[in-house]
Amino acid sequence: MAPKIEYYCPCLSESPHPPPPNRPSSSYSFHPLHNLFFCEECDAVRCNRCVSVEVSGYYCPNCLFEVPSASVRAEKNRCARNCFLCPNCRNTLTVVPSDPPEDVDSRMSPIVSTTLGEPPFFLYCNHCRWDSAEVGITFEKPTGLAAQLQKFEDSAPESLEFERLKEHFEPFLRASSSSSALPSASSHHVHTNPITAAASSALARDIPGVGKYNPLSRSRVGREKGAHRQEYPDYKSRVEVGTALSGEADVEFLRHLETVSQVAALEQRWTNSWVSPLSASDLKPLRIPLQSKKSKRCPSCRHILIKPEQKAQSVRFKIKLVAANYLPAIAVTLPHAQAAIEMLKRTSKTTSAAAQAEEQQAAGALIAGHSYSFHLAFTNPLYDPIQIRLAKAIAPAQTAEGDEAAERARRSTFQIQLPSAAFPVGAFAEAWEYDDEDEAMFLDDDGMEVVEARGKKGKDGRGKTRSVGIVEKRANVTIVSGEVLIPKEARGDVKFNMLVSYTYRSDDPEPSEEAQTGTPSRSHGANKGPEMKNFSFYTVVDLGSIMYREEPKLTADL
Amino acid sequence: MPPIRDKFTIHSKAVVCQDVELKGDITIGAGTIVHPKATIFAIAGPIVIGSGCIIEEGAIIVNRRKEVMRIGDDNLFEIGCRVESPTVGNCNTICTRARVHHTLRISSYCVVGAGVLVVPTEDEMLDEYTVIYGPAAERRVWSGRGKVQEMDLRRKHAEYLREMLPKFNRLRRGDGA
Repeated sequence: MAPKIEYYCPCLSESPHPPPPNRPSSSYSFHPLHNLFFCEECDAVRCNRCVSVEVSGYYCPNCLFEVPSASVRAEKNRCARNCFLCPNCRNTLTVVPSDPPEDVDSRMSPIVSTTLGEPPFFLYCNHCRWDSAEVGITFEKPTGLAAQLQKFEDSAPESLEFERLKEHFEPFLRASSSSSALPSASSHHVHTNPITAAASSALARDIPGVGKYNPLSRSRVGREKGAHRQEYPDYKSRVEVGTALSGEADVEFLRHLETVSQVAALEQRWTNSWVSPLSASDLKPLRIPLQSKKSKRCPSCRHILIKPEQKAQSVRFKIKLVAANYLPAIAVTLPHAQAAIEMLKRTSKTTSAAAQAEEQQAAGALIAGHSYSFHLAFTNPLYDPIQIRLAKAIAPAQTAEGDEAAERARRSTFQIQLPSAAFPVGAFAEAWEYDDEDEAMFLDDDGMEVVEARGKKGKDGRGKTRSVGIVEKRANVTIVSGEVLIPKEARGDVKFNMLVSYTYRSDDPEPSEEAQTGTPSRSHGANKGPEMKNFSFYTVVDLGSIMYREEPKLTADL
Repeated sequence: MPPIRDKFTIHSKAVVCQDVELKGDITIGAGTIVHPKATIFAIAGPIVIGSGCIIEEGAIIVNRRKEVMRIGDDNLFEIGCRVESPTVGNCNTICTRARVHHTLRISSYCVVGAGVLVVPTEDEMLDEYTVIYGPAAERRVWSGRGKVQEMDLRRKHAEYLREMLPKFNRLRRGDGA
């Protein structure tokens, strides 16, 4: 299990402290950096759980046609053009012509056919070779399939039933909605279609226990509604409800099953809105369901964080306030594991991929009773250098069991040592702007102390370089090392919360234009001189599980 | 194990590129096209390939049994596939990166989908028009509709390759030693 690091999003909770990482429930508050957003107004991290999402547009995933929201309702969230879904494997169907009539010497027949192909056309799935002729759906023309299929869909028993219901209730809806509306608005109501009328009267329905809110004329409505209620005749359905839904036909079908594959699988059936037939050979092609593009907003200040482009085929965003543009990216590695893997790679000859993965896991294992150093690489996304300070997050007080138990608990958990001083990370610039990878660039960090950094390029740090401090500084990446001491009785995962706070110091005093580019916090007025802006966030660092010393190490046969 | 003696019998109308790895006793029929970087290993027994087949890059055809491995006409072996089946019929399509075990015999007009791993535990013969697809290697029977157009397309494909490949690749001619 490779070591990883995740960021904490408070999700609008009052206390900024993250939950202790050992609890399984706390894993939901920690996210990898690429899942997080950042709100500039509130200066806060937002995650997918706390943002408010709204639909910004609908499109068909096959033809990439943007459907205006008015048509979405009318077409029941499906694509109205020639896009269909194979009922068997849920791939997209293509329209193909039928084979030309075979000649006697069909094998050596010349390669000729009209470009348009011959009718009848049918739908064909390239993946599983299902075609719609198996269920009897063919078309005369290759275009305008939706219109041709409309006849089939309209004659389905469910839609006929629905139409009859609508017709039955329409006069009552009209009457009740027109009487309850203001006279000026009643003209609008007359022109609405039955669906909208049904929806609006459903909203105005009586709910027992809740007082009826009626901004319009009250007394008149009450009387008229009561009068109307007695006038509803009973609705007679087209088909006898008892027999249609009794499932007799289904039982007969199941009794005569020969193989399980004759029954339609769950994945094949639940895309359909209506109840679909049980047998797999009866499944009809479905229109492709539309998908939506969503835009996300900050929950507190309603600022837009993510806004996609209008065109369906473009994957870019008009507004993209992601946390990776504001927070430093942190990567955690265990140098002893990497060195072990490299040694294994050099010595082992032909191990399979699975054996190699096992070896890598074993190489990175943390054995109780040892102490290991780990590297944290900080990448600065801002265009100015920052100073980072790390601290161990103090866990909130846990249940006190007793002095002895607490003492034992403290002894058996691992100890972490982090660099305590602030260290700089260089500014981000395009690749061609860097002179060289030496530290002569960062001469402006004079007021900073570095804890003794003995192991400079400590990638092969298996030796005695156990210092806690800066390991390497390159372009906009700084690698620092910390230490974890695992006592013999420790068990479980090595996970700890880390507080990262960084200070952005703008070098040239031009707050009007530079202060707003990617700064984590707002500038206060027009200051001259460098301003210190501060931001801090919690992270959880997971170094892996502790392995016991007694277990034999998993070594490959070298 | 006796050393593998190479004996290639390549029809004069077949197009076999220089960069193909051939080993063992291989017979290639008329009009067959073998792309560069394909691999045909007749390790234990000979391989006979029919006419009009298209074997694309990265395809691996291996015969580890002593019996003759017969591949029929008009088959398409797409990129990266691996076939060890002792019998392959006509007009089949083995899609990209599919793997067919040596216990399976393929008849005609079958389709093995992309990435599918077909490893039956005992010897099995696929019916005609079987389609194997999906990660779980589900099967179903194709109705055969559209096969004339597909064969048309394959012949056009082969003709185009026969024209274009020699322009950009060196060809291997005749019998190897």
